[in-house]
Amino acid sequence: MDDFRRKKLIDDVASPMIAILAGLLVGAIVMLLTGTNPLFAYKEMFTKSFFRPYYLAETLVRSAPIMLSGVAAAVAWRAGYINLGMQGQMAVGGLVATVMAIYLPVHSWWGTVLCFAGGMGAAALTALIPTYLDYKFKASLIITTLMLNYAINHITNYFVAYPMRDPAGDGMAQQSVQIARSLRFYRFSNKNAMNTSVFVAIIVVVLLYFVFTKTKFGYESKITGLNKNFAQYGGIRSMRTMFQTMALSGALSGFAACIEIFGVRYRYVNSMFSSTGYAWTGLMAMLIAGYNPLLTLVYSIFLAGLNIGGTALQRNVGVPMQIADIIQCCITLFVSVKILHEYKRMKAFSKGTARGRTS
Amino acid sequence: MKHITKAYGPLVANDDISLTLNKGEILAVVGENGAGKSTLMKILYGLESADSGEILINGEVRRIRSPYDAIACGIGMVQQHFMLFPPFTAAENIVYGHEPKSRTVFFNRREAVKSVKALCTQYGMYIDPDVKVADCPVGLQQRIEILKVLYQGADIIIFDEPSAVLTPQEVTELLKTIKDLKRAGKSIILITHKLSEVMAVADRVMVMRLGNLIKVMQREETSIEEMSFLMVGHTLKTREIQKIQQGRQILSVEHLTLAGTAGKPVIDDVNINVRGGEIVGIAGVSGNGQSELIQCLTGIRKFQSGRIIINGTDVSNCPVQENRDSGCACIPEDRYFWGNAAEATLVENSIMSHYKKTHLMKHGIFNKKNTCTFANDIMAEFDVRYTSDRQAIQELSGGNVQKLIVAREIMQHSPFLIAAEPTRGIDIGAIDFIHGKLLEKREQGDAILLISSELTEIFALSDRIYVMYEGRIAGEFTREEATIDKVGLLMMGGALDG
Amino acid sequence: MNNLYLAAVINTTFRYTTPVLFAALGSLFCTKAAVFNVALEGQLLAASFVAIVANYYTNNVLISLLAGVAAGAFVAWIVAIFQIKWKVRDMVVGTAMNLLVQSVTAFLMQIIYGSRGTVQGFGMVALTKINLSFLKFSPFLYRMFEDLSTIDYLGYIVAVLIFIYFKKTVSGFHHLSVGISGTAADSLGVKSQRIQIRAVVISGILCGFGGVVHAMGNVTVFAENMTSGRGFIAMGAASMAQSHPLVAIGSSLFFGTMLSLSKTLQGYINSYFTEAIPYLCTVLAITVYGVIVTMQKRKPAMKA
Repeated sequence: MDDFRRKKLIDDVASPMIAILAGLLVGAIVMLLTGTNPLFAYKEMFTKSFFRPYYLAETLVRSAPIMLSGVAAAVAWRAGYINLGMQGQMAVGGLVATVMAIYLPVHSWWGTVLCFAGGMGAAALTALIPTYLDYKFKASLIITTLMLNYAINHITNYFVAYPMRDPAGDGMAQQSVQIARSLRFYRFSNKNAMNTSVFVAIIVVVLLYFVFTKTKFGYESKITGLNKNFAQYGGIRSMRTMFQTMALSGALSGFAACIEIFGVRYRYVNSMFSSTGYAWTGLMAMLIAGYNPLLTLVYSIFLAGLNIGGTALQRNVGVPMQIADIIQCCITLFVSVKILHEYKRMKAFSKGTARGRTS
Repeated sequence: MKHITKAYGPLVANDDISLTLNKGEILAVVGENGAGKSTLMKILYGLESADSGEILINGEVRRIRSPYDAIACGIGMVQQHFMLFPPFTAAENIVYGHEPKSRTVFFNRREAVKSVKALCTQYGMYIDPDVKVADCPVGLQQRIEILKVLYQGADIIIFDEPSAVLTPQEVTELLKTIKDLKRAGKSIILITHKLSEVMAVADRVMVMRLGNLIKVMQREETSIEEMSFLMVGHTLKTREIQKIQQGRQILSVEHLTLAGTAGKPVIDDVNINVRGGEIVGIAGVSGNGQSELIQCLTGIRKFQSGRIIINGTDVSNCPVQENRDSGCACIPEDRYFWGNAAEATLVENSIMSHYKKTHLMKHGIFNKKNTCTFANDIMAEFDVRYTSDRQAIQELSGGNVQKLIVAREIMQHSPFLIAAEPTRGIDIGAIDFIHGKLLEKREQGDAILLISSELTEIFALSDRIYVMYEGRIAGEFTREEATIDKVGLLMMGGALDG
Repeated sequence: MNNLYLAAVINTTFRYTTPVLFAALGSLFCTKAAVFNVALEGQLLAASFVAIVANYYTNNVLISLLAGVAAGAFVAWIVAIFQIKWKVRDMVVGTAMNLLVQSVTAFLMQIIYGSRGTVQGFGMVALTKINLSFLKFSPFLYRMFEDLSTIDYLGYIVAVLIFIYFKKTVSGFHHLSVGISGTAADSLGVKSQRIQIRAVVISGILCGFGGVVHAMGNVTVFAENMTSGRGFIAMGAASMAQSHPLVAIGSSLFFGTMLSLSKTLQGYINSYFTEAIPYLCTVLAITVYGVIVTMQKRKPAMKA
């Protein structure tokens, strides 16, 4: 039995590792085609994301909203509800929290908690609208959640363009005023953006690991995702699970947005969640991690590092930073094929013991 | 076929098997589930490829790598699960793959209907070419399937468990058709585990066991007893069922009615009662409302009128959990669709519907040690073979999956158990084991409702038998009154005289 | 609102409909073979981008069109390999491919043009326009069909052709059969996987046309992520049409109208809200459609 577990662990770790190497290889080929030395570029990319304190801090700060939106997606996807609307839910959550922070007489830590609660609640409600439409009218969750991203992006932008716009900013910047100092997370130094919100995010993700593996909710939603009929037959109330998971997914998206606003940006900026792509990077991280929150945490930091390194690459080497996104998409695709399994199967074929079930 | 060998990993499904089929003869291939007969036929029909061995047709070596090749070689197969497209018409299904064309790309449907009609007359098997397959009863669907094989110009026809889905009367009809085909010069391979059919039509019999060819014999030289001995490897003892004292009423269903989509009710005014210490069988061709009945009983489906009382509690239209709380457990009819989550682990599959018990979970948090012990205990008790409790259930064989499900439901120790197709598609050893466990539960004074399309199973276990036809209870028999003929007639929608 | 203004709005509607219609046809083509293609968005975007790049270098309409269509087909082919050959979950392939195309186009834009944002001008050519001079007798009709490209008309023709393909041809018959049961088709010697891969690649070709029209129909321009959810709108259109190619014309026209309204209403309502219209309408439309379907289902049950 120990042997079985060890084998499974190797499988779970080795598969993504091979996919990551393959993804980096694709990136290298792309860079070669554009006339850049990939070894030099990767050295630049990784030193300026993980191996210098300033960049490491940037990477960790960037990873916080990514890992949270990643687990937000994982909560819904593992229960079989395809939420593609994390981006919109983040925008609503972030905007509501900012509005509360600016216009309500709140201050100090309880003010932050209150704003977070408001933002998370609003984001959860945003996620519940398409859920209700799917439950009641069979309106595909995939399409509605994605469509709402675009709609919400335009509508939230209206607020920072008109009623909430910071008059002090220059003419181009469409953003709200800053939130009060007492509401912000504590920054360790003014040299970089590292702040306590990162630890809060990590704690929440670890907590979710516990929820996924040890609780009734985690069990019920997992079984629902694997086989809805089995879940129903066993007495799991599918409607309740659906609304619970989607509400939690939305709330976590809102939480991710609040972390970004109260920890880093201190204001709501035009298109701040659609242009950064946190939601999509988080989605990729959780797909690579196979819905596991702890692994999502690890891969979020890795992908955040790729993004930060990509920015440095653009600045210093002249390779467009989208190279990071390309690599990240390729890794996701390669992981999804379960390269290791394919390889083992092919080996099994060549040995003549056709199609033995591996692992 | 010569020296065919096929292995799935460590499991050898066919070990160096050779068979010959003469023109115009009926060869029966018999064996238990898992003996390798289906694999052998799939190799012949190109659905699987053999690891070694060769296939000769009319003395020539032919390579059959896909059904397309097989059809080109004149081999046709009537599969156990019909390969029909329900929304298409009979004619469309029959000509499928060899459609008459006009101007090279267009489907000439008129020509198709014409040639199907011609085919019907040629073989004396009549169907309406324009009827949708979805609207045909199973027997007719099989006829369409046979006509399709004939249309493809097959000289060798494989029948894979053709009688599994038919009523006894339809089986008689089928056997007559098979003989007619033989007379028309076709060579036929009949795969079955029903030995009476073998005795009725076959010229030769080939017995397989555990991937090996045991013996080939002329039909005249053998007997049912010998064949079954060869199939199983030892003689089967028939189980004696003692009468036991029946307890109080556990299940009563009163005037249950469930509306269907086409305006005709799927379940029509059904009354059923089951007492403690009693196994009540529901016989019927599948698709006559049994699935819906199970769904209503377990609370998965809401119905329009009637009452369901389980163990003294009225659970009509209650959520599933309440039904279970009132003492209803259920072995579902389809172990993959309802009964498990393929990618979940054995532990996760075992604790379903147990997990809310306090020793497994407190305040919504699992006690990991207890859940593992529980899962391992019930799997040990029911002889489930596995390597690790963290394994995904999809890695187990069908028989083991079924045993796990049966274990999970029997270990509910509920006063009422629904056992729907409890032994479908598993080997005789496992069937015997599960039957034993069901009878054990009966002896403990619990009530069991057995729903099965396998008449032998119904007759082997039931104290009383209901027959279901088109959503209605067509008849009720005690163990003593029931005969295969009477039950079969009601399953067909016939009426008993007097 | 005068008549000619209305004609102009209808004209814009036709232009906005075409990409949606092509993508919707691509979507239903896959659905009919039991493939759920989520990567339509990426297929559209790839086609738009490659068409503009080809246009930039050659200034030739036909080459741009072919290049765009080939790009759509290529993306679809990758999707088919992952989704059908390697059995990767549709949602995973779809989302990853959409994002991949988005980042690759943004990446290449900076490599080729050295800037983010938009590519336009430089003597690029637009699709050939057709003006129906016989409609000149009525200014309204003339304005309605003014300056539509050949591809705009092609969309409706392709819809009819697909209808005929499913209804009348043997190949279409096999296509439908794979959608009903792949195993049955396989056991009868019709290779379902091949048909499915073909369906996805054809959906790529259709999206290719859609993408080219989107980039070169009205103004010849490429903007980063310019398809902005049209692939998903098209999925909505196809599902509302219950995968019927002729009904898909109707549902695509509806979304075309919404997209056109979002532009024409900008004079009256704040553009931030008008921009949201097509997306909100998609959500609303598939909801209303769901209401109608559930009501229809309930009716026969009530009668009984």
